[in-house]
Amino acid sequence: MISFERFTLDNGLKVIVHTDKSMPIVAFNILYNVGAKHEDPNRTGFAHLFEHLMFGGSVNAPNYDEPVEQAGGENNAFTSNDITNYYLTLPKENIETAFWLESDRMLSLAFSQKSLDVQKNVVIEEFNQRYLNQPYGDVWLHLRPLAYKVHPYQWPTIGKTPEHIASATLTEVKNFFYSHYAPNNAILCVAGDISANEVITMANKWFGPIPSRELELKSIEKEPKQNEFRSLELTRNVPYNSIYKAYHMCSKNHSDFAATDLLSDILSNGKSSRLFQNLVKQKNIFSNIDAFITGDNDEGLFIITGRLNDDYSFEKAEAAIEQELEIIKTNSITEYELEKVKNKFESSFTFGLTSANEIALNLCQYDLLGDAHMLNSVVSTYRQVAIADIEKVAKAIFTRNNCSTLYYKSEK
Amino acid sequence: MLNRAQQPPVKIAEHINIPQPAFINLKNGSKLLVINEGDVDVCRIDILFNAGSRYQTQKLEAVASTSLMPEGTKKYTSQQISEYFDFWGSFINVNADKDFARVTAYTLTKHISQTLDRLEHIIKEPTYPTDEVRVWASRGKQNLTVQLDKTSTIARMELFKNIYGENHPYGMFAMPTDYDKISRENLAGFHASNFGSEGAIIILSGKISDTHINEAVKYLGTAKWGNGKLGSNAIEDSNPNLGKQFVKKDNAVQSAIRIGCEVCHRTHPDFTDLSVANTLLGGYFGSRLMKNIREDKGYTYGIGSYMVSLRDSTLLAISTEVGANFTKNAIHEIWKEIDRLKKEPVPLAELNKIRSHLTGEVLRSFNGPFATADSIIGLLNYNNLDYSFHDRLMNSIKHINPERIMELANKWFNQETMVECVVGPENPF
Repeated sequence: MISFERFTLDNGLKVIVHTDKSMPIVAFNILYNVGAKHEDPNRTGFAHLFEHLMFGGSVNAPNYDEPVEQAGGENNAFTSNDITNYYLTLPKENIETAFWLESDRMLSLAFSQKSLDVQKNVVIEEFNQRYLNQPYGDVWLHLRPLAYKVHPYQWPTIGKTPEHIASATLTEVKNFFYSHYAPNNAILCVAGDISANEVITMANKWFGPIPSRELELKSIEKEPKQNEFRSLELTRNVPYNSIYKAYHMCSKNHSDFAATDLLSDILSNGKSSRLFQNLVKQKNIFSNIDAFITGDNDEGLFIITGRLNDDYSFEKAEAAIEQELEIIKTNSITEYELEKVKNKFESSFTFGLTSANEIALNLCQYDLLGDAHMLNSVVSTYRQVAIADIEKVAKAIFTRNNCSTLYYKSEK
Repeated sequence: MLNRAQQPPVKIAEHINIPQPAFINLKNGSKLLVINEGDVDVCRIDILFNAGSRYQTQKLEAVASTSLMPEGTKKYTSQQISEYFDFWGSFINVNADKDFARVTAYTLTKHISQTLDRLEHIIKEPTYPTDEVRVWASRGKQNLTVQLDKTSTIARMELFKNIYGENHPYGMFAMPTDYDKISRENLAGFHASNFGSEGAIIILSGKISDTHINEAVKYLGTAKWGNGKLGSNAIEDSNPNLGKQFVKKDNAVQSAIRIGCEVCHRTHPDFTDLSVANTLLGGYFGSRLMKNIREDKGYTYGIGSYMVSLRDSTLLAISTEVGANFTKNAIHEIWKEIDRLKKEPVPLAELNKIRSHLTGEVLRSFNGPFATADSIIGLLNYNNLDYSFHDRLMNSIKHINPERIMELANKWFNQETMVECVVGPENPF
């Protein structure tokens, strides 16, 4: 049970406090409700580029990293399709430095042309390093637009192409800031050896004076139901053929989410899982196979991906996957198997809450979904899933017309 | 009135409380360390053996005989074992590096007995079934082949090879064809002569009671087994091939750059001061290399300088991936920063920043049971569990002066004793 207190400042900033006296390092996590899905389709990669610019100094604090280092802290950030999240850990005596820096960059950035130019380069090198200079690195650049035709999940957080990043201007950057970065679009959580009163005082002192802002509230169009099988073949200089199958699934708030997650676990979580035992160990068709959900806030994807052994064609490999997906739809899941994936879920969930920063991030994420208290009911929600729920989901998802398949072919 | 231009006052911890668990000697010759911390009902069991790749006679023996431990024992098949651990929600990690083999289990504390029970079978009685060896080898071969497609993998191997020599235990790497040569007999042989209760060290961390400790002793600390090594043999001298190395990789959009050399060991009196100097150069986000090559020039997504610990050596490695057309400039800037470290005294403000940053790092490395366990395993493997290492480190962090940093940079960071490796589309040298 993760206990916490939650309150909202007058300007709309939501604040959550988890007190744990045994944690000498305090975590400070601030989540902004802006991600790649809020971008203009002709200006993709912006939310992520922006995350980089947030470290380029703010209106009163010309340098972000140095004061953190002086306070013995550590900081970083990540951008997803749904959110941008910033986090720091600091020795408890120095936590006010986090309030100072984070409130100042919420107030306003320094916006320098030099910082923009350099970070554009850094992000383009990140694009190169992660997506272009890695075997199979460009998969998501192709799989997303294959599966999504309308919803902005069709591009990855890094953006559709480096050109979108290269052409960003300082004016666009400023507009993006004022329409998304605001106290009324953020959730703050502080976790560790700190009391709720201390946090309330500091939050009011540093964030209180920032006025709420008018947000750009563009509605995001739902992805229409897919009605045809889609496929794409890519040929690349990689050592082995790989297959990626993406099926549309429900959103994170949906009552089928837990059943869908457990379905992916039965298929491939752990060495005793079906796909690994049957297709890697016994039939030796794949050297690696994985089934997972993207876990996005909006309607996400259920992915099955495998790297083929040389002796098998795409056709045979795909047929083997589809056979497993057929089998799981009716009368094959046992109570034992369900119990196993539930135990495993409980265990990884519990291990995922052993540090102050994991707790702080999770509280913010569940709060964005509607209620931070959900964090404490996740395990029991999963415990209540029945075999019939999983079979229902499998039947609904695993149809040919709901599938986008990428055949990633080795040149050799 | 709120003054936003002023950083709130900061305090830097004068003293850090570092847990110093003592060895508990077990009946069968193994030793136990217990780190009882944390509020969540989870724990971790680590078992360390002196059975890394330095002790093997054929490539991959160490990593294969460790990785395949859960793939079949006298009493249970691979599938039964994975079913069992998955059912109890336990996670098993098995691996070997150059010096040590390590078996790690993560478990909910309430399932520690079940986890220990099967763990015992895995470490003592693996049978290495031929089919399992074959599947493991074919998967490993594929994975390595994919890894070798990355400039970063090749560059890292080149660095080690050229610093230690390609026949040195620390400079040797398996290639995909080595996977074809391993057999059941190799692995069983390696297990029989390198794993055993003697010399094994067990580390329990997490929320642990005496009952849990007694369980661990029952399964892992009572009966003598195998032929464990104490790990006291010395390693041969390195045979470096200094200078510039280039490996061509057509069509790569980035070059991987690795620059490094062998530096003093963790037990050497220079070590803790040197690690402060290295942090300044490239050991944290605000380091000189990051500031210059990422934040000022935008040549890279990241650059770092690392002290890589091995049992009998320490390696300094500067590591980055840069846009292919920036390769020459990036190397030039790296040497410029090293030169600056040698010639210009570090400004006090920068030095103070490093002192607070590193103090925070030490605090973080003991934050929670698993971070503490990792730090203590580091001390165990590389400092013979000499707890005064952290006193020396804190002393260096607090008291090192600009002159000492220049002295160390001149002593250890010299182009004549370094290896420079570049893997990319074009030779920059």
